[in-house]
Amino acid sequence: MERSFERDFRALGEIFEFTGRFSEAHKIQASLGNSINLIVEELFTNMVKYNTGAGHPIRIRLNVDDGRLRIELIDEDVDRWDPAEAPDVHVDQLIEERRAGGLGLYLVRSIADELTYEYENRKMKVTVIKNLER
Amino acid sequence: MFEVKQAGDRLQLIGRLDASQIEVAREAMSRPGAPCVVDFVQLEYISSAGLGMLLGIQKRMVETGITLKLINMNRHIREIFRMAGFDRIFDIE
Repeated sequence: MERSFERDFRALGEIFEFTGRFSEAHKIQASLGNSINLIVEELFTNMVKYNTGAGHPIRIRLNVDDGRLRIELIDEDVDRWDPAEAPDVHVDQLIEERRAGGLGLYLVRSIADELTYEYENRKMKVTVIKNLER
Repeated sequence: MFEVKQAGDRLQLIGRLDASQIEVAREAMSRPGAPCVVDFVQLEYISSAGLGMLLGIQKRMVETGITLKLINMNRHIREIFRMAGFDRIFDIE
């Protein structure tokens, strides 16, 4: 399944309808469906926040192949920015030291089995692989 | 869909707390006299935006010696709190 979404947080409702249809079509259980929503939301909102010069919609592609869930987000005409290199979050810090920044990508890295980033001709593609339980 | 309701001595978060709904939650939880007990029983989903909002409120409350109590989380949300290390920051019941 593939669809493009306006680069606006208000698109999240439509995005969750899209991911919900995908989960239903592939009989994906609710907890994994929530993980898909989380991964897609964190990557999408980071693209909206940090790829600020871009004006194109963001493309989201979901598929399941050979027991592997593949989530791809594609953003065109953007500057280089690699989410895989985002600094780690220190989850053992005291509340006074904790900062919310970086938490979304930290959660994506924690849930994903693979996170890859491609950048060519100002096109950015982030791919997350999640192995499905058999 | 997301909404916040006050039910007696607690605030109920209902639906999906994503990045587009943060201001709704922040406004309700920051209101003077808002309950410190937050009921997650009808909350289906939370992302880092929701976690960050809760962290900000908790930080402000700690300065006054009060803390939030989060109750009735589903298993998925509890796991997100654990992954983020927020189970060490919040009083979760």
